[in-house]
Amino acid sequence: MGPVTLAAVTRRVRPRLVGLGSVTEWARARRRTELGLMFVGGMAVLFAALLVSLALSNELPDNAIEIIVVMIAIAIYVQVVNRWLIPDADPVIMPVALVLNGIGYVMIEALDPGEAGQQVGWTLLGLVVYTAVLYMVKRSRDLERYRYLLLGVAFVMLVAPLFPVIGRAPGNANAYGAKLWISFHSISFQPIEIAKLLLVLFFASYFVEKRELLTIPTRRIGDHLLPDLRAFGPVAVAWVLSLLVIVGEHDIGFSLLLFVVFLSLLWVTTGRWTYVLIGLALFAAGAFLASHLLGQVDQRITNWLNPESTYKQYGGGYQAIQGEMAFGRGGLWGSGLGLGLVQTGAVPVVTSDFIFAAIGEELGLVGSVAIVVGYILLVGSGLRAGLRARSDFAKLAAVGLTVTLGFQAFIIMGGVTRLLPDTGMTLPLVSYGGSSLVANYVLLALLMRISNEGNQTTTVPPTPRWAATKSTASATSA
Amino acid sequence: MDKRIRLVAVFSLLCFGVLFLQLNNLQVRQAGALQHSVHEPSTVTTSWNLPRGDIITSDGTVLAYSTKNTGGTGYVRHYTNGPLYADVTGYYDWVQQAVQFGIEDQYNSYLVQHESSVHNLGDLLTQTKGTDTVETTISAKVQAAAAAALAPYASGAVVAIDPTTGDVLAMYSKPGYDPNQLSSADGTAINKYYAQSVKSGSGLVWAPLNNGVTYNLTAPGSTFKVITTAAILDHDPSLALENVKYTAALKLPQTNLQLHNFAGEVCGGTLAVNLWKSCDTAYGQYGLQLGGTNLAAEADAFGMDKQPPIDLPSAEVSVSQFPAASTFPSNQPSLAYSAIGQENVADTVLQDALVAAGIANGGKIMAPHLMAHVLNDQGQVVASYKPSVWLNATSIATADQVRQLMLGVVTNGTAAGVFPPSLDVAAKTGTAEVGNNNCSSDWMIATGPAGAGQVPKVAVAAVLPYQPGLSCDGTGAQYAGPIVAKVLESAVGYAG
Repeated sequence: MGPVTLAAVTRRVRPRLVGLGSVTEWARARRRTELGLMFVGGMAVLFAALLVSLALSNELPDNAIEIIVVMIAIAIYVQVVNRWLIPDADPVIMPVALVLNGIGYVMIEALDPGEAGQQVGWTLLGLVVYTAVLYMVKRSRDLERYRYLLLGVAFVMLVAPLFPVIGRAPGNANAYGAKLWISFHSISFQPIEIAKLLLVLFFASYFVEKRELLTIPTRRIGDHLLPDLRAFGPVAVAWVLSLLVIVGEHDIGFSLLLFVVFLSLLWVTTGRWTYVLIGLALFAAGAFLASHLLGQVDQRITNWLNPESTYKQYGGGYQAIQGEMAFGRGGLWGSGLGLGLVQTGAVPVVTSDFIFAAIGEELGLVGSVAIVVGYILLVGSGLRAGLRARSDFAKLAAVGLTVTLGFQAFIIMGGVTRLLPDTGMTLPLVSYGGSSLVANYVLLALLMRISNEGNQTTTVPPTPRWAATKSTASATSA
Repeated sequence: MDKRIRLVAVFSLLCFGVLFLQLNNLQVRQAGALQHSVHEPSTVTTSWNLPRGDIITSDGTVLAYSTKNTGGTGYVRHYTNGPLYADVTGYYDWVQQAVQFGIEDQYNSYLVQHESSVHNLGDLLTQTKGTDTVETTISAKVQAAAAAALAPYASGAVVAIDPTTGDVLAMYSKPGYDPNQLSSADGTAINKYYAQSVKSGSGLVWAPLNNGVTYNLTAPGSTFKVITTAAILDHDPSLALENVKYTAALKLPQTNLQLHNFAGEVCGGTLAVNLWKSCDTAYGQYGLQLGGTNLAAEADAFGMDKQPPIDLPSAEVSVSQFPAASTFPSNQPSLAYSAIGQENVADTVLQDALVAAGIANGGKIMAPHLMAHVLNDQGQVVASYKPSVWLNATSIATADQVRQLMLGVVTNGTAAGVFPPSLDVAAKTGTAEVGNNNCSSDWMIATGPAGAGQVPKVAVAAVLPYQPGLSCDGTGAQYAGPIVAKVLESAVGYAG
C-alpha cells in the first residue's frame, strides 16, 4: 500500500495503487468525466441501433442484448485501460471517437450488414491495438529516438502496394482507380493508413532536430536573408514523395493530406510563411501537372466542377450528384435512420467514401452537423494536447496527428458535399474500412499518450515527492 | 510555437465552418431544388432490387431480360447475343446501379417496375406492379447480316433504316462490348472487364463503349455529293446542264493550292457523269459556283448541324457538322472542299443513312426510331411509335432526280458491280481522306429497290474508318460496298 503518512498530511492525494501508476484526484475527475460522456454517447448509439432495426424490420434487433453487452464491455475496457496506462489523459477524445465509430457502425449495419459484422471485428482489433500502443509507447520521446526506423518502415509500406505479389489491383468498386492495397491470402490491408502516422512522427522529430537550421536565416540573397538552402530539401522531398504517390498509386487524397500535414508542421516549427507560400506554389504546380497528365485526377476535377457532363460515364459525375441528392432529401431533420433512399443503393460506395451522404439523408442537417461538431471536438482536444505537451516533439506530433485526422475528415466531407473535389478517402472512424479504423485507433493512442504527459506536468511535476505533494495540495485548494 | 498551434486551431475551425455553411446550403437552401432534380432517384428508380422488363426485336427475339440473382439479392440483367445488340440495348451497370445508353436508358420508365396502368374496372381492384416490354424495330435477320458483314474489321459501323417510316432495322458498330460483362452481379469482374476491354480502346480507332452509328463522326467524303447535287437542283438548276471542263486538278481561289481528283484521274462533263464518276474537281467547281449560302442551306435541310430525333439518350447521339455559311466568303477553298464532304464536314453514319432515306422517300426524312411498341405484362400495347416527318429536305422532283442519278452510280459509276444486277439500287460511294496520313475512310450509302415505280424498303449507310488492315488508298466501293450490299440484300429479302 501507499505511504500512509503522506495521505494523512494531504487527504486530497490518493495513495499509490499497486501496479496502476499514480492516480491523482485530477486524473480521477477526468476519467469520471470520460465515463459520463461514454454513457451519454453510448445511449445515443444504442438508440440509433434500435431505431434502425425498427425502421428496417419493425422489430427490435435479434442481437439487441449482444449489442448492449459489447457496448458496455467496450466502455469498461477503455475505462480500465485509460485508468491503468494514461490516467491524466484528455477525457473528451475517446468518448467522441467511440460515438463516431458507433454511429458509423449503425449506418453500415443498415446499409450492408455483412460489412457491419466485420466493422465490429475491426473496432475490437483497433481497441486492442490502442492498448498495445499505449503499453509499448510509455513516453512520447521513445518515438523520437527511432525516427529513421519509422521513416524506413513508412517508406516500405508506401511502396508495398506497387509490388507484384502482395500488391493487388482494386478488387471492388470502393478501390476504384487507386492502387492502395496489399493482400496476404484473403486479408487485405491499406498500408498507407499506417504509413501516414509514421511519416507524421518522422516529420515531427526531424523538424525538432533541424529547427534552428530551418528557421534562422544564414544566406543573403540581395537584400533578403534566407535560411540555408539545404533546409529546403525536406520540402522538395515531401513534394516529390506526394507526387510519386499520386503517380504510382493514384491516391490524390493521401498526397494532399501528406502535403498539408507536412506544411503545417513546418510552419508550426519555424513560423516562416515563406515555407507555406513555396509549398502552396509547388502543390499548385503539382496539381496542375497531375490534372493534365493523369486521367483520374482530371476526371475527379471534372466530376466536381461539372458532374452533369460526365453523369453517364463510368466513374463520372453520377456519384457526386447522387451525394448531393441525398443531402437534399435529408433536409433539416432527415428521413430517419434506415428510411433513406441510400438504402436502395442510390449512392455508390455509400459505406466508405460516401457514408457522410447517408448520414446527411437519414439524420438531416442536425445529424451531419453533429458529426462535424464531433470532429471539431477531436481537433480541439488534440491541439490542446499539443499546447500542453512538455516537449517540442510531443507538441509537433500532437499537431501532426490531429491535423491528419481533422484534415482527412474535412476533405472527405467537403468532397461529398462538393465543396472540394472528391478525393476518395474514408471518413475517419465512421466509414467502413479495417485499415483506416485500426490506424485511427493507433493515432488516438498516440494523442492520448501525449495528452497524458502534458496533463501530468501540471499535477505531478517530476520533482521530489514532498514538493509534488505541496504543489498539488495548493493547486487543488486554490 | 504555442501561438501557431492556436492559429492552426483557428484555421481548422474556419474549415469546418465553411463545411457547416455548405451543409446548410445543401440541406436547407437548395433542398427543395435538389428534391425536384431530374437525377432524383425517387422519381427515376433503377434499383437492382426490382425486376426489369424485356427488350425484344420486331421478330420476337429477346434481347434483354432479368432473372432473380441466385447468389444474392435483387435481379440480374442478361443480354442474349449481348455484343451483337449492345448499340441498341445499352446496358444496366451493376457497379453504379444505373442504366447506361440505348433502350435501357431511353425507355427506363417503362422497363422498371411501376404501377400497372388501369384498363378496366377489374384493374382498379387488383392494382398491381409490373414491368413493360419494349419491342424494337430491329430485325434480328438484318442485324445478323450487319454483324457478319463487319466481321473482318476491327472498327466500322452500319445502319439500315426504313425510309418510309424511320424504323431502324439494324444498327451495329465495332469495336463493341458485351453488356453482360458489365451487368453481372460481380463488381470485381465488371471492373476488370471494364479496365481491360472497354475503357480506352487503346490501339483502336474508335472507343468500344461509343455507339459507332450515332456517336462517332467521320468526314463523309463523296457521299456528301448527294447533298451537293440536291443543292444544284434546288438552288441553281442551270449548273446541271453545264459541261464542266475535263481536268485532274482544280485551281482554288484565295490560295495557290489545287484540288486534285482521287488517284489523279481526269474528269468532267455533265452533272450525271460527275456524280457517277464522283468527280472531285467538278464538284469543287459546283460548290464554288453554288456559293456557301446555298450549300449550307441544303446541308442543314438534310439534317446537318441538327440533333437527329432518334430515341436514344442525347449523350450518345452526335450532331453532324457542316461549316456555317458565314465562314465561306473569307475561305473559298473550304467551300470547294465542303462540297465534296471533306475538311470540316463530319457525319455520323446515322446522318448519312438519313440522307439516303430522304432521297428514297421523296425528299421527306422520317424521324429515325428504335421503339415500335411498348407492351404490358398481359401483352397489351401500352404505347406505339407513330412515324413522323423530321425534315422536308427537298422536293419530290429533286429527290427523284437525285435517285435516278444514284442509280447510275451503280450501273455506270463508282459502285458498279457491288450489287446484284437484278436489284435496282441507288447508291453513292465515299472515300474521305482524313488524318495526318490522308488514308481513306470508306463510305457507302444506298437505297433499294429504287427502280422506276418501286418504293425503297431500306436505306443503308456504312463506314470503315481508316484502320490497320485496310489499304491506305482503298475506296468506298471496295470496302464499304460489300457491307452495304449484304445488309441491303438482307433487308429487302433478296435471295441470290
